[in-house]
Amino acid sequence: MPDETNPSKAPPAENSPATSGLSDPERWVDLHGDYLFKYALMRLRDPAKAEDAVQETFLAALKGGKTFAGRSAEKSWLVGILKNKIFDHYRKASRETSFTDLDFYADEESDRFVADGLGKGGWIHELGPIEWSSNPGVGLDNELFWKTFHDCARKLPKNVSAVFCLREMDDVDSKEICAQLHISESNLWVMLYRARMALRRCLETNWFGKQ
Amino acid sequence: MNWLTRTFRALSPNCKEAIRLQSEALDRPLSRMQRIGLRIHLAMCRWCSRYGKQLKFLRTAAQRCEHDHDAEQTMPPEARERIKRRLQTEINR
Repeated sequence: MPDETNPSKAPPAENSPATSGLSDPERWVDLHGDYLFKYALMRLRDPAKAEDAVQETFLAALKGGKTFAGRSAEKSWLVGILKNKIFDHYRKASRETSFTDLDFYADEESDRFVADGLGKGGWIHELGPIEWSSNPGVGLDNELFWKTFHDCARKLPKNVSAVFCLREMDDVDSKEICAQLHISESNLWVMLYRARMALRRCLETNWFGKQ
Repeated sequence: MNWLTRTFRALSPNCKEAIRLQSEALDRPLSRMQRIGLRIHLAMCRWCSRYGKQLKFLRTAAQRCEHDHDAEQTMPPEARERIKRRLQTEINR
């Protein structure tokens, strides 16, 4: 991640406190509050912490005192600040207790693979991955697909979900995640592998297998 | 394990190893030997090829994941009011 991960650099404090009056921040909360809350909740898994992160974001935005021509530019700016707040939260958590989680999905779907003999480690054929329709991208326009996706993602344990979000949604580099959250690289790869495995299986069962 | 056994193992991963390697390839560059072994395996195994495509689909989906789809979650009204009040205090200071 670029500078965004560095709390000391965000938000950009160009002008001192907003002079545009009260209407702006009130409007922010009405306009972007829910979006930011969902964004934070998905990553923090705790409504109270998500509310705090949103409040801190608005306070930082107030100090930043920027004005934007468009609503979407304003939203991306706020999301950028929120991202830092969330990463801060993870960093703090990782200093208190280990962020590494090697218990989740530790069996790695062993029941789907031949246990020993010549074909050891091969798929048991009828349990191999099913075809996800000819064009799985079609699902991305479907509200119900996204509901399933969110339901599946919510089943990941907190820390596994956090590293999955950082890596897959926010495209943070593996080395960066390891350095910030004190996870060894090999443990991070295992956590991400199992997160993908679990999410894949959940989508296969609850979405693609039902189509 | 001697060199020959290691080379052979690297060049012929089983399915379980092949899907792990496909996941790791999304997070780090694989070694040359691992890449070759994986390529050989995928050429022969439609399950693992399918699995790899599905992992890439997960990444695409995650990147396009809009939180507005998660309709059940909205900020509680009390929180909204509390934040507004907090912002107002900050402005009045």
